[in-house]
Amino acid sequence: MSLEYKQIQPPEGINTSKEHPLKEFSLLLMAILLFIVLAVVSLSYTAHLLAPFIPFSAEQKMADMFADQMNDEQLVSDDAEVTIYLQSLADRLAMAQGLPDDMSITVHYVDDETVNAFATLGGHVFFFRGLLENIPNENALAMVMAHEIAHVKHRHPIKSLGRAVITGTAIAVVSSAAGGNIIADVLGETGLLTALKFSREQEQQSDESAMTALAHVYGHVGGANSLFEVLEAANPDRLQPPEFFSSHPHTDNRIESISAMASKNHWPTMGDVTPLPIEFSRWLEQTGDTFDLSY
Amino acid sequence: MYDLIIFLILMSLGYGFGRVAEKRHYKSIIERETALNRIPAIVLRFPPPSLKPQHTELVMGSVVISIDYFKRIAAGLRSLVGGRMMSYETLLDRARREAVLRMKEQADALGANMVFNIKMETASISKGRKNKIGSVEVLAYGTAIIPAAESVPAKIVA
Repeated sequence: MSLEYKQIQPPEGINTSKEHPLKEFSLLLMAILLFIVLAVVSLSYTAHLLAPFIPFSAEQKMADMFADQMNDEQLVSDDAEVTIYLQSLADRLAMAQGLPDDMSITVHYVDDETVNAFATLGGHVFFFRGLLENIPNENALAMVMAHEIAHVKHRHPIKSLGRAVITGTAIAVVSSAAGGNIIADVLGETGLLTALKFSREQEQQSDESAMTALAHVYGHVGGANSLFEVLEAANPDRLQPPEFFSSHPHTDNRIESISAMASKNHWPTMGDVTPLPIEFSRWLEQTGDTFDLSY
Repeated sequence: MYDLIIFLILMSLGYGFGRVAEKRHYKSIIERETALNRIPAIVLRFPPPSLKPQHTELVMGSVVISIDYFKRIAAGLRSLVGGRMMSYETLLDRARREAVLRMKEQADALGANMVFNIKMETASISKGRKNKIGSVEVLAYGTAIIPAAESVPAKIVA
């Protein structure tokens, strides 16, 4: 019996594509990221426009909701001497900055070696032991304080929150459409990284307001530079990322723009620096277990 | 941050292993297909009367195959914008061909010289776990025509 039926090997590449999978993937990824970036930029711009209309009292209520989470062991009580001193400095600088009447600044001291200070919702400003240990004089401390107060004054925390909420929502929508919990996790993670940071423009704005307050209170802006030297010294080996990716302007650029501002407004950059209270380091010591009196 | 690192590791592992597995599978598919082309698979329901088979038997081949992590993510991105789901094309192509091959291998073991009335069925086994499992089952079955030739073992003819 001769075969009437014969099967031949079909050619390849009809039902599948010869295109490299990485090519398709990278094209798609770029297109979608571009879309997300555009959406987030336009939405967060809208959020920025609308956020200042949220009354400060509403912001304070929002902050109270988070207050329980902040209440950890490292947070030093508000009647500690260091907190009282910081609070009085804050009140002086707030007045110098012309903080609106409905706004208030509440200073908290955190017993942690992080070299940092930050302002958040409801006018709460946090200072870390690591930063205060390295502060050489009151003028430098006032520069940090005035900078953080300026964040509150310009409503930066609520603007950032608005941006974070908008970004989070946009990411959740996109990733649920893509149908992946994994994608949601990853995108959410990247969203969180940028969530409550202030933009470089906001930092710049706060620097400017802080300088004005400093000149107002002390009659000169000496001490502002020494703050940045402290920050620089805290991370001497740190390789700074390109400024585009960084939330704060580069330290060099900050010092430069500070000198530029000072000369523009005829503020003396030198002057008698006000020392910190003699008791200051003892106050820090009282609340901290390990403390290095190196300066 | 750690999530991102784990994600990237999973992606590159998925991509690497997936690529190698696919390449090997295609190589094996083409080799076996070329060898088994001597047993044609025909979709006609009934063999022509002239064939007068001595014996017929149901043969089938089934395969379950999954895409890798990388392709699942790529497919997720693709589903946002639409278009050819290239990640799934090779998956289904491989599954169909492998199922037919397994069916033919069974037919070959029975001493058949062709298979009639080929049917294929596809079942997704990711029901209810849409985002976790990207697997598919393909079942191919048909009627093996076993000639009354000397090559047929006696017990099957009987």
